[in-house]
Amino acid sequence: MGRYIAKRIVISLATLFVLVTVVFALVRLMPGDPFSSEKITPQIRQNLERYYGFDKPILQQYVIYIGQLAKGDLGYSMKYANATVNDIIAKAFPYSADLGLRALAIAVSVGLTLGIVSALNRKKPIDAVCVVVAMIGTSIPDFIMGYVLQYFFGIRWGLLPIAQYKGFAYTVLPSIGLGFYTLALVSRLMRSSMLEVVQQDYIKTAMAKGASRFRIVWKHMIRNAILPIVTILGPITASVLTGTFVIESIFAIPGMGKFYVTSVQSLDYTLVLGMTVFFGAFLVSANFIVDILYGIIDPRIRVSRR
Amino acid sequence: MKRLLAVVACALALAATGCAPKAEKADASAPKVFRFSYVSDIPTLDPQMANSMPSGTIAIHIFDGLTRMDNGVVAPGIAESWTVSSDGLVYTLKLRDAKWSDGQPIKAQDFEYGIRRLMDPAAASPYSFLGLLLKNAEAVNSGKLPVDRLGVKALDDKTVEIQLAYPADYFLGMLSMSQFCATRADLVAQYGKDFAATPEKNVYDGPFMVERWAREDRLILVKNPNYWNASAIKLDEIDILIVPDENTALAMYDAGDLDLVRVPPAFVEKYRDRAIFYFDGSNDFIKLNMATKGPLSNKDFRLAINYAVDRQDFVDITTKGLYEANPRYVLPQVAGVAAEYGAEYPYAGFGTKADPAKAKEHLAAAMSALKIVDPSKIELEFLTTDTDRSRAQAEIIQDQLQKTLGIKINVRQVPYRQRLDMEAKKTFEMVFSGWAPDYSDPMTYLELWTSDSPYNHGSYKSAKYDEYIAFARKTTDKRARMDAMFNAEKELLSDGAIMPMQLRRESVLINPAFTGVTTYFIGSNYDLVYVDRAAK
Repeated sequence: MGRYIAKRIVISLATLFVLVTVVFALVRLMPGDPFSSEKITPQIRQNLERYYGFDKPILQQYVIYIGQLAKGDLGYSMKYANATVNDIIAKAFPYSADLGLRALAIAVSVGLTLGIVSALNRKKPIDAVCVVVAMIGTSIPDFIMGYVLQYFFGIRWGLLPIAQYKGFAYTVLPSIGLGFYTLALVSRLMRSSMLEVVQQDYIKTAMAKGASRFRIVWKHMIRNAILPIVTILGPITASVLTGTFVIESIFAIPGMGKFYVTSVQSLDYTLVLGMTVFFGAFLVSANFIVDILYGIIDPRIRVSRR
Repeated sequence: MKRLLAVVACALALAATGCAPKAEKADASAPKVFRFSYVSDIPTLDPQMANSMPSGTIAIHIFDGLTRMDNGVVAPGIAESWTVSSDGLVYTLKLRDAKWSDGQPIKAQDFEYGIRRLMDPAAASPYSFLGLLLKNAEAVNSGKLPVDRLGVKALDDKTVEIQLAYPADYFLGMLSMSQFCATRADLVAQYGKDFAATPEKNVYDGPFMVERWAREDRLILVKNPNYWNASAIKLDEIDILIVPDENTALAMYDAGDLDLVRVPPAFVEKYRDRAIFYFDGSNDFIKLNMATKGPLSNKDFRLAINYAVDRQDFVDITTKGLYEANPRYVLPQVAGVAAEYGAEYPYAGFGTKADPAKAKEHLAAAMSALKIVDPSKIELEFLTTDTDRSRAQAEIIQDQLQKTLGIKINVRQVPYRQRLDMEAKKTFEMVFSGWAPDYSDPMTYLELWTSDSPYNHGSYKSAKYDEYIAFARKTTDKRARMDAMFNAEKELLSDGAIMPMQLRRESVLINPAFTGVTTYFIGSNYDLVYVDRAAK
């Protein structure tokens, strides 16, 4: 196991390095540059390029960037003059993480429950209800979901705040809006996975042995059926936690999504790079943790990896 | 399942009762807080780096210039009096006894430092072109002269002397902008690149000071007790909330969570009787690249497309008449000799409606000069930004030109920054562009089109035009100067050098519980300095 983990760490770091290099190059290839504005003159552009070190050869800039990155320094943003990328991420990520964790908790707990209940009650009315919920969740885009929630609960009925992020009540609508798609995805996946497991011989064996229904469902069905969910959990966690622009926009939440989109629009090289590296590191570590979890949940994988 | 539903229902109910928005009571002793929103965060609160409407708007609340613009009129700021030399080149300003928010006295040296910092190439202000009218400014900004050779000097602790390269009446108004504000050298030295990055990394000399700044979330300004005119300031706090979605902001205004909100054009009809309308200074026009090999080098052709376009239809279709069709170049709201320029010098280079007869006449002349027989052989690329709005705008102009003249227009959409880049590199034929004023004078528009201007992206060359502008920059006779600029404007349009299109009219809703909100069109859009709660 130790060797396996060490190998995974090396691969993860290499992935990140490639990511940084590719994004560094791509960002510079985008047409236009961060200093373009209606009122810029060639002289001002020259002054700005010197200020941000863009007057140096591109390879030298790359080496400087990697050197800073190794020290954990992501540099200064250009759009948000005087602000460091580290500072922006440090302030924005907690919002996205808080919202993301709430959304994830709702999505996984409700999604799994719906999937299990629906599979165990196959072709009964309750199954139909669960399937419809899942269908709505996967087919309605999050911006419509966000507006619908905001309109009814916030504007029409005045039950919850319309926007901003200043306390528990403010988190309810955006968490549901953000988590609904994942909820639907988890419930559909869990349902089909459960239905597959039910067909397996070991379930019949367990039944024949006279094991209790609870034991069969809990120990044999769910534990086996949950594997595909764990697989998608890594990327889903990363994407939900690092923010989705749409929900953050609708509910005016200052999370990562807003900064990411703004940075790309304004060609803020350092901010785009910094956020991509952060997002990438997050995704890589989420996948890494999922790999380890896999081994814990499924002994077969643990054995084969030795 | 039932239990689960019950749990969810309980959680929702709890959340609802716990924090439902409460109606606010307005009793007289409660702090006076004014709240408004922007779609995006204020890019910077560094006075010399400010480069946008939002930055400029916050700046007039937290900084006080040597002068202050009060509803379009120059009023004293930190300077209590001033004299201008007879040649209009030397300004001597006397400072009042005023303090920074940390209690230190405001000195003439702080202004000297701030203005030098604007032009210092090492500080790299993106807005340093604003100071190019100062003596030696160009040489300082390009590093050819040291910053202490710039035309600004603290004669003593309370006197600033500013020397200009050419006379400019509007300069007193410019002094109200944060780029020319006092700045503390000790703090810039202490914080370096982090200067003004957070509220405590700068001090303030305006009516308000920054209390809290959470990026892309909120900016909280509170009354500055050390402001020299603090007794005239009635508001205790200004909250600027960042709400990216304009529909959300509107809903927040309706729910009482905002006191001022911009109404997006799509909602203007709904709020028409309650909204307040103002021109924000943005002036949209189409730049024509005269250095291309195509027909745009021909004056008659440029006039043909100018007459063929229907500006009134254009604004009616794209903004339901919210924006105003503009038949001239200079923004009419800028200052003339004694009143608004537009009122003193009324003019329409082209009609707001199309004139197909004149358009065809000029096209025929152009075609015979260019030796073209079939107008459908004329093809032009129309460059614009890659938004849906820009696409709609471009398609209307494309349709109008193609129908009236029978020529072919190809619309090309690129990202905003790329469009700007292509304009600067002059790799375009026609581009939908615009200009917002930097000071209240026709020159803020006219200086773009001199042969040596870095903003002359269309490569317009007119000896007559250059002469008018050169004269206007030299003379101290106000009437003669204004006449010369008016002649330049007429010259530009009779050459068809650009296609004027529209003036942007904004609509806002303002909570009637407050008085004293004013709007402006240069450097800042809302002025809340003298806002008070309305008496019941």
